[in-house]
Amino acid sequence: MLGKLVVDADHCTGCGSCMLACSLAKEGKFSLSLSRIQVTRNEEIAEFTPKVCVQCREQSCIAACPVSALSFNEATGAIQLNREVCTGCQQCVSACPYGGVHFDKGQNLPLICDLCGGSPACVDACQLPQAISYVQDATEEEER
Amino acid sequence: MNTSYAGQLLIVDLSSETIRTEYISPKVINLFLGGRGAGVSLLWDLVSGSTEPLAEDNALMVIPGMLTGTSAPCSGRTTLLAKSPATGRYLKSNIGGWIGVSLKLAGIDGLVFTGKAKHPVYLSLSPGQWQLHLADTLWGQGVRATTHALKEKHGTDVEVMCIGPAGERLVRFAAVMASYYNAAARGGIGAVMGSKNLKAVVVDSTMGQLTIADPDGFTKVVKQARKLLYSDSIAEDLHKFGTARDVDFLNKMRILPSYNFQRSHIHGEAQKLSGRAWPALGYLKGIVGCAGCIYSCHRFTRIDKGKYAGIYSGGPEYETVASFGSGCGLLDPEPVFVANSLCNDLGLDVISTGSVIQWAMESVQRGVLSHADCDGLDLQFGNGDAVIEMVKKIGYRQGLGDLLADGVARAAAQIGQGSDRWAIQARGLEQSCVETRGAFAYALAFAVNPRGPDHLHSECLAEFGGTKEGRALVKRIAGDEKYAVPNTEDKRAEIVRWHEDIYAVSDALGLCAFTTTAAYSLQEELIAQLLKTATGIDLTAEALLQVGKRIITLERCFNLRDGLCPEKDDVLPWRIMHEPQPDLPDGGDPMTPERLKRMLSEYYRLHGWDVHGLPTQETLEELDLAFTLSELTDAYAKCGSEKEP
Repeated sequence: MLGKLVVDADHCTGCGSCMLACSLAKEGKFSLSLSRIQVTRNEEIAEFTPKVCVQCREQSCIAACPVSALSFNEATGAIQLNREVCTGCQQCVSACPYGGVHFDKGQNLPLICDLCGGSPACVDACQLPQAISYVQDATEEEER
Repeated sequence: MNTSYAGQLLIVDLSSETIRTEYISPKVINLFLGGRGAGVSLLWDLVSGSTEPLAEDNALMVIPGMLTGTSAPCSGRTTLLAKSPATGRYLKSNIGGWIGVSLKLAGIDGLVFTGKAKHPVYLSLSPGQWQLHLADTLWGQGVRATTHALKEKHGTDVEVMCIGPAGERLVRFAAVMASYYNAAARGGIGAVMGSKNLKAVVVDSTMGQLTIADPDGFTKVVKQARKLLYSDSIAEDLHKFGTARDVDFLNKMRILPSYNFQRSHIHGEAQKLSGRAWPALGYLKGIVGCAGCIYSCHRFTRIDKGKYAGIYSGGPEYETVASFGSGCGLLDPEPVFVANSLCNDLGLDVISTGSVIQWAMESVQRGVLSHADCDGLDLQFGNGDAVIEMVKKIGYRQGLGDLLADGVARAAAQIGQGSDRWAIQARGLEQSCVETRGAFAYALAFAVNPRGPDHLHSECLAEFGGTKEGRALVKRIAGDEKYAVPNTEDKRAEIVRWHEDIYAVSDALGLCAFTTTAAYSLQEELIAQLLKTATGIDLTAEALLQVGKRIITLERCFNLRDGLCPEKDDVLPWRIMHEPQPDLPDGGDPMTPERLKRMLSEYYRLHGWDVHGLPTQETLEELDLAFTLSELTDAYAKCGSEKEP
């Protein structure tokens, strides 16, 4: 099983490098709205909040999906989406207590991190701040 | 040319309130790339030698770099261009934050503003849509209030670039601000915006997209570039402690400009002025990165206690601390934070604001300005409250502030009594806080910088030999590491020439100068690969630097058309050239005109310019700049070229 993303909002500098890296890795282009990690920025007081799937145990998103489009992939340790089945109802977006599920209006699909197969693109863009790290044995506490 | 860079410009004529799109020609893109490169080429055509900076026929351009909007490390930078109200000549001023990335994601590669609006207006844009709005209720507001109001109206996710009261009042060193605290500060670009009755630009790029030529190839090059940048000697320190991290060290080394360049260290303990001390002192509240930056050198600071409790802002940077701190004789960092916060909100360049206040302080010291001349302020070096009051007066053009708001050259010309000798300016621009009597490459670079004497044209940090990357670079371009010392004339021209070219390329691509000329990890080969995989434009490392040379040379031609005469104008502030700085570790002789001239001669030669500092016809032809020749006849006649075309 793969590791987990651990987010430390206190270390986020609001640069958005993770979002640019994510949208390139997952969609082949740069777009803030297509990133699986979303950073809300309040530059006035330097308050930056990254939100991304942290592979939690609750998996509220899976439970909330009325058409079973979401499942947990044991091999990758990440939530996976069956795009054919998904109706774009956004129940998963509302259900996630971490705000880790985002929504692409263009494709009418949720955007959920799949850990890039074990080498998350966002993490490589955040090596100095280390607001996002990829760890193998994260505890639930650390995830928050 | 097959490139993913569209080069779409939004041309906004404020006089007629019409907006149209136009594409930068493939020829211009090929020769100059984007950002500062495309910018200088477009500006050459848009204005003439007789254009007055604050008149309607000046143009204001906002051109993000070619890599801006991508995940290329530290690529979020944008160049603003116009004729400068400070110098009357070429001005480029570079800004970080999010404005450039937003424009690029919204599908816009540049904004060009012409004419003048009848009433205050602002521009809003999102992918495929743009509109001018009345800005009557915003006019008069500070940067913070303006940004709040526009985010309230257009959504919290929009990016706002605007001017403050200083730009509206045409302060000749007013800044354009973006993302609250990022500034295109130098040369009065904010006054140009104010002169056009343009208050703000609002960009909503949330639904925008940007595609590149070769995503897989680009991803690989970016990973390699990041790895190098992360391991650079300055990376960790720059991130943790920011640009002002070593003020105390520079003071101990006696190379920190102080008391209006009368000294090169401040009396007393400068530890609190250092960014390194701010976490422990409780001032540092956050570390901030511009869009796409992997270093995040920007600070967010707040004062919690005492008479300035509650003051908060982005920064201060090194230049701010040197300008208001050691420059104004302040050891206490708190008035520096307050002055910084005011400059950010009024929209003022911290370097020039500090410089004009230092000039006034020295004028008081020398009895040239009286207590009454200073509106009753006790403008002595070391009086933090007087500095703070003076910043406000400059921003609102009140009292003595109205005189200072025109810059130190004009203020000294009006006051006279020899005060031009302590006006730390050349060609109309206040010098940035580098002791150029002890840093010879900086001195040469400042003397030839087309916008005036500052570091943001060819930051030659490598000459100090402070990092292994810097020493390796000096070895590569000058043949030996032994030249990585700042107090020699040897090889300075070579060092400046390389830095100029790479800096121009960085500006054209939107890369932060810290990737190429402070950190030295991102060099021409890797930049060429980033460019190729992002845009499809395939240049060798050599050809890339040639673009840099072309940009520098066109900027030179621009100023020649505007009346620059190298013999008279390739100079440094009077004090730097004529007064020694005995504080300096190695004696501190003045950077005399003779010494400067020796370095200039070599610099001109390396450029293919004649002995008078004018590009020769052969050089212009070689750089595809022969189109400038017909407009340089006066310059060749006036400045006595021996090789007239």
